Amino acid sequence: MNAFLAPNDYKSPLKPIWCPGCGDYGVLQALYRALSAVGRPPHEIAFISGIGCSSRIPGYTTAYGFNTLHGRALPIAQGVKLANPDLLVIVAGGDGDGFSIGGGHVPHVIRRNVDLTYLVMDNQVYGLTKGQLSPTSPRGLKTVTSPMGSLEQPINPLLTVLAYGAGFVAQATPADMPGMTALIEEAIRYPGFSFVNIQSPCITFGEEDQQLKAHKARMKPLASLGHDPANQLAALDLARAYGTELYTGVFYRNPSPPPTYDALVRQRQVELQKGEPRSRSRVLDGYLKA
Amino acid sequence: MTEALATPPQKQLAADKTSLITGSEAIAVACKLADVDVITAYPIRPYDTVMQYVAKLVSNGELDCEYIVAESEHSQFEIVKHASAVGARVFCGSSGVGWMYAFEALTVTPALRIPMVAMVGNRALDDPGAFGVEHNDALAVRDLGWQLVWVDSAQEALDTALIAYRVAEDRRIFLPCAISCDGAFLTHSQALVKVPSQEKVKAFLPRYDRGDLLLHPDNPITVAPQVNEDWLMEIRRQTAAAMDRSPAVIREAYADFERIFGRSYGNPFFEEYQTEDADVVLVGMGTLSNPVRVAIRQMRQEGKKVGFVRVRWFRPFAAEELAATLGRFKAVGVIDRDFSLGSPYRSGVLATEVRAAMYPAPNRPPIVGFICGLGGREVTVPAVREMTESVYLAAEGTTQPGTKWIGLRE
Ligand SMILES: Cc1ncc(C[n+]2csc(CCOP(=O)(O)OP(=O)(O)O)c2C)c(N)n1
Ligand code: SF4
Ligand SMILES: [Mg+2]
Repeated sequence: MNAFLAPNDYKSPLKPIWCPGCGDYGVLQALYRALSAVGRPPHEIAFISGIGCSSRIPGYTTAYGFNTLHGRALPIAQGVKLANPDLLVIVAGGDGDGFSIGGGHVPHVIRRNVDLTYLVMDNQVYGLTKGQLSPTSPRGLKTVTSPMGSLEQPINPLLTVLAYGAGFVAQATPADMPGMTALIEEAIRYPGFSFVNIQSPCITFGEEDQQLKAHKARMKPLASLGHDPANQLAALDLARAYGTELYTGVFYRNPSPPPTYDALVRQRQVELQKGEPRSRSRVLDGYLKA
Repeated sequence: MTEALATPPQKQLAADKTSLITGSEAIAVACKLADVDVITAYPIRPYDTVMQYVAKLVSNGELDCEYIVAESEHSQFEIVKHASAVGARVFCGSSGVGWMYAFEALTVTPALRIPMVAMVGNRALDDPGAFGVEHNDALAVRDLGWQLVWVDSAQEALDTALIAYRVAEDRRIFLPCAISCDGAFLTHSQALVKVPSQEKVKAFLPRYDRGDLLLHPDNPITVAPQVNEDWLMEIRRQTAAAMDRSPAVIREAYADFERIFGRSYGNPFFEEYQTEDADVVLVGMGTLSNPVRVAIRQMRQEGKKVGFVRVRWFRPFAAEELAATLGRFKAVGVIDRDFSLGSPYRSGVLATEVRAAMYPAPNRPPIVGFICGLGGREVTVPAVREMTESVYLAAEGTTQPGTKWIGLRE
């Protein structure tokens, strides 16, 4: 294994251009620490994002990054993981990126169980395009696109992802930095698709009760409620409180993780060739020659 | 349709009001004046400004319409398409990759004969990311039956949106129309705009009547049936025939516009600037007209007889008329704020079309193509002068009529 890598080793020289006080700064710090704890060197990490304020995050790390198209992070990340299963692949983006324009990809990456970690920075608004309704905006929210208040029921990301069958589902907030760091680390270590909904406040367009101060007062660690993360039904029940309660911690961790898609593909290759899996250098050689 | 309109003489109608508004706001105001029934939105710069102004009008009670913020552009364009099929007047819009994300819906809209009016806040296609203007987004639908028009001022944006409804919803046409407004330069710049009275707009714009194509329980028809090789070609031909009828309907609409609103755009298809005595001309679309006009005024003081032709309607393309006009000059320079890689002479889209239009013409001056102002880069006055120099060289026969990239770091 590698020599010890400090959180700063994952920090790129690029200075974030988020608004001062944006929750995404906290997410970035927690990520540096979690990556240092996991210990994979930056060149073995691929960090894929969509488009949004939150999707700028790969550029602020020393990992390989791909700031893709709005809503397309998940399929691109799957391509990366399948082409090079040895990479640690992390996907990040906003609530809009993940649950409106890109929402169609979520069930499929989950049912395939590709070994990715998906971090959604859920600020209940479209930050980058300056404060429109997002799919997680609470009903009644007044924005530039809903001056009289939203008429729509928000998506519940936790419940949705659990219902699609994800093996690891958690929620974090930058109001609890050690908790968020530990959750990101655990998500990365989970063998299979893992999802962390991070309540990352948008200080510019977000609501007062969605800011860090309010989070600090409202958050309830699931562990303190005696929740057993192996209990999927209890997880579903607790996830229903999204939007009213701010539960943090692991909602669900599959106690016996099923094989990942990448593992199944390799196994199929072995069966077909009755021997060793094909080396991925063939794929890479082909690419380099092109 | 025009004959059927009983128009009271102009002086009886309430007067215009002057407002300081942006190009985007002008489009939103046009939606209000046209009393649009269903508007869908999904944010992307620079178009998002329109949806925000629309949201304001709806919440102020000034515009009574269904306003849906969809989950993506694809759904956004699908929703209005079907609202239009059941008889609603609709409005939609996007920019850059947002417009491209709706492409599946965009391709079928003309074939289903949906008179959707859309605004494209022209923006470069990501990647690499850029918010600035480029015309490739709107141009991507140029072969599919969309009527495409470029405007260069907030006033023209408002007026053209009204004209677009009139033309698109004419039973002889029933084809969608996209109004292109250059990102930032037009969408975000304020100007004094004459906002016509509701009365005048009523006199100009009849109700949308889908007639025999109305999707309604009393009129059981199938929209978008599976026709395969049995009928597809005939349906394409019908769509083509509608596009062929469009120039005459556009002319009628502009003539009525002038009669009712008292403002004239002259030739609807293209605008000529200082061309009467010109030796050479530049041709372009959108707001690059502003630096071009400034440069022409400078050059004229130096004795250079330069003119400008601003193309408004790109679809339908007024080929014969444009060819006849351009045939009067010694050389022509076409400025594209777009690119068409691998195209003849490696030109932009407009230059390629202009060359095709000129081919059967009796007078065919040399044509130089320029690619300029991509990704929102400014088309500067010195850049226009540089292009004009090249056009003069072409007139003297000292330069090959190819394509030049202008304002490029090399
Ligand atoms: C196809 C397409 N449509 C629209 C946009 C414009 N756009 C950029 S980011 C964004 C939403 C961002 O919201 P979210 O994903 O929640 O991220 P945040 O900025 O809040 O972190 C939108 C609509 C785009 N880039 N591409
Ligand atoms: S707009 Fe909101 S989400 Fe975007 S950087 Fe600013 S605070 Fe963060
Ligand atoms: Mg967001």
